[in-house]
Amino acid sequence: MAAANYAIELRNIRKTFGSVVANDNINLNVKQGEILALLGENGSGKTTLMNMLSGIYKPDSGEILIDGKPCVINSPEDSKRFGIGMVHQHFKLVDVFSAADNILMGDNNGGFLLKKDRFKRITDVAERFGFEIDSKKLVKNMSVSEKQTLEIVKVLYYGAKVIILDEPTAVLTVQEIRKLFDVLRKMKEQGHSIIIITHKLNEVMEISDRVAILRKGVYIDTVETASATEQSLTEMMMGRKVDINIERPVMEKTAPLLEIRDLTVKGDEGSVAVDKLSFYIRGGEILGVAGIAGSGQKELCEAIAGLRKIESGMINYKGENLVGLPPKEIIQKGIAMSFVPEDRLGMGLAPSLSITDNVILKKYSEGASPFVDRKKGRELAEKVIEELEVVTPSTETPVRLLSGGNVQKVLLGREIKAEPNVIVTAYPVRGLDINSSYAIYDILNREKLKGTGILFVGEDLDVMLALCDKIMVICAGKLMGVVFSEKTTKEQLGLMMTGSLDISDKNGKIAGIAKDSNITEDCLREE
Amino acid sequence: MAKQKLFHIVKRDHLGFGYKLLVYVGAVLLALAVGAVLLAILGVDPIKYYSSMITIGLPKSKFPESNIESLIKIFVPLLMTSTALALAFKMKFWNIGGEGQFIAGTIAAGFVALKFGPEMDFGLCLVLMMLSAMICAGLLGVFVAFLKVKFNTNETLLTLMLNYVVLYVLKFFAETKADWNLFLSTTSQRPMFANLNMKMPTIQLGRFHLDISLIIAVVITVLIFIYMKYTKQGYEINVVGDSSATASYAGMKVGRIIIRTTFISAAIIGLAGACSVSTANIMSTSITNDVGWTGIIVAWLAKLNIWGVTVVSLLISVLQYGCQFAGSSFSQVDAHFADILQGIILFFVLAADFLVRFKIMFHKKGGND
Repeated sequence: MAAANYAIELRNIRKTFGSVVANDNINLNVKQGEILALLGENGSGKTTLMNMLSGIYKPDSGEILIDGKPCVINSPEDSKRFGIGMVHQHFKLVDVFSAADNILMGDNNGGFLLKKDRFKRITDVAERFGFEIDSKKLVKNMSVSEKQTLEIVKVLYYGAKVIILDEPTAVLTVQEIRKLFDVLRKMKEQGHSIIIITHKLNEVMEISDRVAILRKGVYIDTVETASATEQSLTEMMMGRKVDINIERPVMEKTAPLLEIRDLTVKGDEGSVAVDKLSFYIRGGEILGVAGIAGSGQKELCEAIAGLRKIESGMINYKGENLVGLPPKEIIQKGIAMSFVPEDRLGMGLAPSLSITDNVILKKYSEGASPFVDRKKGRELAEKVIEELEVVTPSTETPVRLLSGGNVQKVLLGREIKAEPNVIVTAYPVRGLDINSSYAIYDILNREKLKGTGILFVGEDLDVMLALCDKIMVICAGKLMGVVFSEKTTKEQLGLMMTGSLDISDKNGKIAGIAKDSNITEDCLREE
Repeated sequence: MAKQKLFHIVKRDHLGFGYKLLVYVGAVLLALAVGAVLLAILGVDPIKYYSSMITIGLPKSKFPESNIESLIKIFVPLLMTSTALALAFKMKFWNIGGEGQFIAGTIAAGFVALKFGPEMDFGLCLVLMMLSAMICAGLLGVFVAFLKVKFNTNETLLTLMLNYVVLYVLKFFAETKADWNLFLSTTSQRPMFANLNMKMPTIQLGRFHLDISLIIAVVITVLIFIYMKYTKQGYEINVVGDSSATASYAGMKVGRIIIRTTFISAAIIGLAGACSVSTANIMSTSITNDVGWTGIIVAWLAKLNIWGVTVVSLLISVLQYGCQFAGSSFSQVDAHFADILQGIILFFVLAADFLVRFKIMFHKKGGND
């Protein structure tokens, strides 16, 4: 068969940024009506490669062929004309516009006026491709899954034949992922070519026809999915044998360390973000927190750390109420909170300052001297670097120059070095490659074995099922139930995350309240 | 087929110190070259003009000491103001109210000198002038910082507008003839500022009179350097400037840090005002010599580094005084040429910044086409 059969073919693509080679020797092709998974760790050049197809970057050398013809894609407009559509991980939508207007916004031939029939037109287009969307609905009122559907309809509206999805499942629940995969299969039947960027192996196995693997910017190979296994793909991705099991050591549980009772906290916009939430953490256990993004995870973490005003309820630490204490005192009591936000540097680290200055962040004010004790800081930094194997030229290197994994190790290392009794950690492996993620899981397990209570707010259900002892699920700030990881499934968690299943009050046993609680009737009455 | 772009821009990883220095020196030289073209158009020999500017007339002068004294008069307020601004900028507090804080300092110092000067001990009065100037300017800064902390107002806008408010207060005193207005001279017919009789003392070194304000300025600069680099408060400023979310996460009281730092920054500028008014021994509506503005340029040219601020302040002072001096022998060019040169230098240094951070890569012909 001729090469013209490929919807897109990349030949010997190379792209460098300064002295960094982001992509080298890439030979990739996608057939019509095929789903190709692009697999690689973070920083392996997947996004750079796709940005070249969508016209954001230009290759330094190599050829791009579309339907067998060589093309130069100079801009996103070119890319659109060639029938390539990209659905980014972070949606590019205007919150206050309706679905229809978000789609028509990019239409250069739409004329000067907004016509009234546009809503129907968009609904029709969507139906033709087998989607149901409410074209009048404003984006700000949409769920994540609806927004994603809208993004897909948008690229289809502009006639995309090749659709690139950048980590589309990262923000979806199990049920939503299943729905998305149905949509992708339908598009495939209609003759569209789909490239899906991901690093979740089970999804690759489920949806793709073929898998292309990148490692450190270099193209490794393309294999038929049917002939591959998760283990073989991991080895190709990592370049060596790895153990992909996460350990879960068993510890003897101690009395509840941190108990949250009927906690209500408001979000930035003044709406209730955490709604009468009750749960507890014992020493020597990892309690996972699962929920759709924005279900109150951030507000919960901030409330525990004393950074957010508590409307009502109680945070009880070893029998002592923490509500109303300033952040500094909560830190001194041994409660460490680390939150890795989406930009990864926002809270907890000062990116332009050195590792030394970052590890002393929470203890710089100790002692009466007006001067900062950098000597001790440097020793601490050296310890963190050594024990957590942080790769850095020196202790004086600004944190922003480190790679993502090392940045997060510094953050977590500082928290652990403070020898806390409770660690609250949100998204500690966000954006990390497999190796660094496992290093972080190891660190958490080591802390667990020391008897520390750990609250782990996570995104990846597979990881949470493997790592956590128990998982509590929240939906819109409400507790949906606490389950043992061994006794639950991803499906059950998914249903709880969307609020379809509520087992917080099963058989009259209210979840989230310990039998041997430190909170007595007396302190409740004092409230 | 679509057209190839001629070049693209690539971020640099790292540049050696020597190369950086070369780029910036090159930028300044280029700026001077552009200035030379302007001079040539005016019919002035650029080489003669520049050599007279850079040497600030020392070689030919009968009293080279007095040239240095005049240079110091320009240097001292600029150094103090730039240092203070760098402190605020480090915290990402965009204090562009240097002019207003400087004038507030002079008004306070002038008031103390005229009200209490006649019957008070000279040294004590001088100290009181400085203290009142610092408090007055400092509170002006705190006013803005408080509004920012409390209501999240924009400090750039507020400090900018306050410059004019304070300037017009000074103008009001300068132009209002009334019995209560102790700022004015009683002997003059037309409104005119009175002599303060509070001249900043000097230390005699041969024929050279070392103004005490220079010592004050140098001490302040060293103290601020230590404060920023080694103290807990300086550390807090760095963290707040880098990420205020991280600062509050670490338990710092961000609002209090912003107010405290702004007070220190504005107070130092007020002190500069007090020193200036005392050195001049008279108030005037042009007392600031635009240090509030020039200081912003200096702080940024020096990348907020305190030693850099010292060097750049000195260079800018040489430029300003040199242009004043050269203007006396080249009648076609007046001292405002210094402003033009400053502007051109800033432009070129910013362009050099770009070259230090990025590399321009030209596409080879015949690649993809």
